[in-house]
Amino acid sequence: MVFLTIANLIRCRGPDEFWRKRKIFRLAAHYIGRRRNCYSVAVRNVHHALVYATKARRLKKQDMKDLWDTRISAACEQHNITAFSMREGLERSNILLDRKSLSDLAAWEPKTFQCLAAVASRKLHLDGFIDGTDQKAPTGKNLNLDNVILDDWLKEKK
Amino acid sequence: MSNSHLFMKSGFVRAPLQNGVGRYVPQLQRIVLKFCKTHGGSRGIRDFIEQDLVEFAKQNPSVVVYLKPRRHRSPVAVAEYLNGDRVWMSLHQKSHSEITKWIEVLRTQQGDVSATRLRKYQFTDHPSIQGPWTPFTFKDPELNVAQLPDPKFGANDRLPMTATDKLRIMFEKQKISEDNVKTGE
Repeated sequence: MVFLTIANLIRCRGPDEFWRKRKIFRLAAHYIGRRRNCYSVAVRNVHHALVYATKARRLKKQDMKDLWDTRISAACEQHNITAFSMREGLERSNILLDRKSLSDLAAWEPKTFQCLAAVASRKLHLDGFIDGTDQKAPTGKNLNLDNVILDDWLKEKK
Repeated sequence: MSNSHLFMKSGFVRAPLQNGVGRYVPQLQRIVLKFCKTHGGSRGIRDFIEQDLVEFAKQNPSVVVYLKPRRHRSPVAVAEYLNGDRVWMSLHQKSHSEITKWIEVLRTQQGDVSATRLRKYQFTDHPSIQGPWTPFTFKDPELNVAQLPDPKFGANDRLPMTATDKLRIMFEKQKISEDNVKTGE
């Protein structure tokens, strides 16, 4: 058998080069200049963008955690307790709120956060836990926590 | 990658015009079912039309149902919504029960939900009950009538820990409390 068309195929490129490049150009549509028009420039930038996107998924979680930590420690500072003590006191009282919830409460429900800080410091006081940094009395001493049956609840084994 | 490259619009979790608060208005306007009368891939949709379609039409009087029997075409459902969205869904080789579930999905959605990237997974008109935090939330109200500069409000309460305090804390820490002592009893 004689294959005559093979001689013709020598000079034509792959049939789906257009669509292969279109996949890259769609991702580069919002770039500037040659980066969105020329394939060899675009493909480098698109690959970098994809790598940054992959790495940023973990960074976003870390950034949110840092933001929440900042907000919680700012709110704790206002109530004269350290973030570490607050965390310790809430854990010992079996109040297992995560950073997101605590920062939301600190921003949107400040009185609730004040009560939580008071509960945490009361629990640490009952446990005889001494943190080397707390000097001042907790705010909310006019919260009248004695009316709430707090000490009994805190003294239960958690 | 940021939002700028995405051709998908972003939005929040909302119901159109507070739908459901008063009356619930079904958001599906019309549904067009295109199928083949003979091809095997349309079997599920044919079963649906024969058995469940009239029931569906009776229960949803606000939805207009169109049937398009077309030879040698794969089965497709196109749903149009009150906000103008058009959802194209292939029903090729789907079983009767699957089609029933997908029709239910099309009936209860409020548009093309897969075309919107949710920025947050919750939405509330009232994020705060106690009032959001302001710098004045926990300040002494006497500040309002105080004549500044005032010695009471101007006092420094951010001094570093004195040596006496440090010694006191060290003493407290090394104290043996009765709980920690293990006795022979």
